[in-house]
Amino acid sequence: MATSIARFSRRGVASSLIRRCFAAEAALATHTDPPKPKLTVSPSPSPDRVKWDYRGQRQIIPLGQWLPKVAVDAYVAPNAVLAGQVTVWDGSSVWNGAVLRGDLNKITLGFCSNVQERCVVHAAWSSPTGLPAETLIDRYVTVGAYSLLRSCTIEPECIIGQHSILMEGSLVETRSILEAGSVVPPGRRIPSGELWGGNPARFIRTLTNEETLEIPKLAVAINHLSGDYFSEFLPYSTVYLEVEKFKRSLGITV
Amino acid sequence: MGTLGRAIYTVGKWIRGSGQALDRVGSLLQGSHRFEEHLSRHRTLMNVFDKSPLVDKDVFVAPSASVLGDVQIGKGSSIWYGCVLRGDVNNISVGSGTNIQDNSLVHVAKTNLGGKVSPTTIGDNVTVGHSAVIHGCTVEDDAFVGMGATLLDGVVVEKHAMVAAGSIVKENTRIPSGEVWGGNPAKFMRKLTDEEIAYISKSAENYINLAHIHAAENSKSFDEIEVERALRKKYARKDEDYDSMLGIVRETPAELILPDNVLPEKTTTRVPTTHY
Repeated sequence: MATSIARFSRRGVASSLIRRCFAAEAALATHTDPPKPKLTVSPSPSPDRVKWDYRGQRQIIPLGQWLPKVAVDAYVAPNAVLAGQVTVWDGSSVWNGAVLRGDLNKITLGFCSNVQERCVVHAAWSSPTGLPAETLIDRYVTVGAYSLLRSCTIEPECIIGQHSILMEGSLVETRSILEAGSVVPPGRRIPSGELWGGNPARFIRTLTNEETLEIPKLAVAINHLSGDYFSEFLPYSTVYLEVEKFKRSLGITV
Repeated sequence: MGTLGRAIYTVGKWIRGSGQALDRVGSLLQGSHRFEEHLSRHRTLMNVFDKSPLVDKDVFVAPSASVLGDVQIGKGSSIWYGCVLRGDVNNISVGSGTNIQDNSLVHVAKTNLGGKVSPTTIGDNVTVGHSAVIHGCTVEDDAFVGMGATLLDGVVVEKHAMVAAGSIVKENTRIPSGEVWGGNPAKFMRKLTDEEIAYISKSAENYINLAHIHAAENSKSFDEIEVERALRKKYARKDEDYDSMLGIVRETPAELILPDNVLPEKTTTRVPTTHY
């Protein structure tokens, strides 16, 4: 029904492209176009597709019954995307551009942990180890920027270097550090208290006691930093005022 | 009762108005450091002068993705969150049923050291893993590019080939059919088993189904989101196990049920370790 109203309004106001954005928003909700037979190889674009949505990308995307849960004092950057079964516990932070996609399995980000910029955390359906394939990032873990985590388990107090890749079923035991750029093959275990790195990840040396004590301190330091960012944002966005102004200028009833 | 309702509504409006006035006072106090929110100017599909993307109607393009310039995307493909497909200097064509997963980058080259420049072509049913970087390459049908892989100019990934995760494939490398290449620089590692080749096609199919769900969710209007939020809150407290103990069967509302083809199959088939 919304589609037909949208189509009428589109025919009436064929000139304004922006109007079509608002109208096509409702039309997009139901893909009622009948499947056309594939005559040529070239794609057939839909006239309803919006090129620009004033809402941007939603930060928290529920899928079915699953709703990502973010603790009240956790900082999740506005361009991070949490989808599906994601739980972000207290004091943790998800930085800019990160994507936590819990659509196939659960993702948990423990207390005071952080997932830094542009990381992708995903979970596969099943892991080659046969264990539950959820991604579990325990407490005080620092996941460096641009890392890719897929169905791995990271035990408490670890540091994952920047641009590292942890594949399905890998286990990083407590108080270990992964160097930047390391690739952990599926099902590998990084033992406790050691420094591993490289592609594929190999043992480098054991960590001294002082280094082990520094690990949770790093996580706490990033927690403090995320507090600064958290306080930059108001509890509720005031962008709705802009939207109302915008709609009024286009003559759309608010 | 009508007038009482109207009175309460008006009082609510006054309170909101005074709240906005207080917000303006607070902004004044913050002075030059205050932050004013603006509408998102991110454009998912964007023309670069006269080159506009041609995206099929069945394609899921995440709102945070950027599809810019001369890009063609075939039916059933999906471009996930945070991807950038930049067809500004040359053209990119993505086949049907392909998925370009989160935070990947597909770009083309106008010139390169070798002097030979080709547009980027990604075939049908290709899986491009998370955060991959594909620059001026040809990826043929049914190939698998592992997550975090970097494919430099002129690389050709043949059908049913796999690029392992985290590998860096040097310029003009040709990855033959049915083999796994990986490492930095990418070298031949092993041959793919038939099971793994079948798994690649299955994974592309799974992603098509997953893309439908994400597409539906991302294109919801504000009212639909609010309705589902209320429904979700209502059904949050109802636990299926507890209900079955009491002999109650509750119906979850249709909006909250995910289609079956996304959930894992009941018969557990052993998933081969594909990436290495």
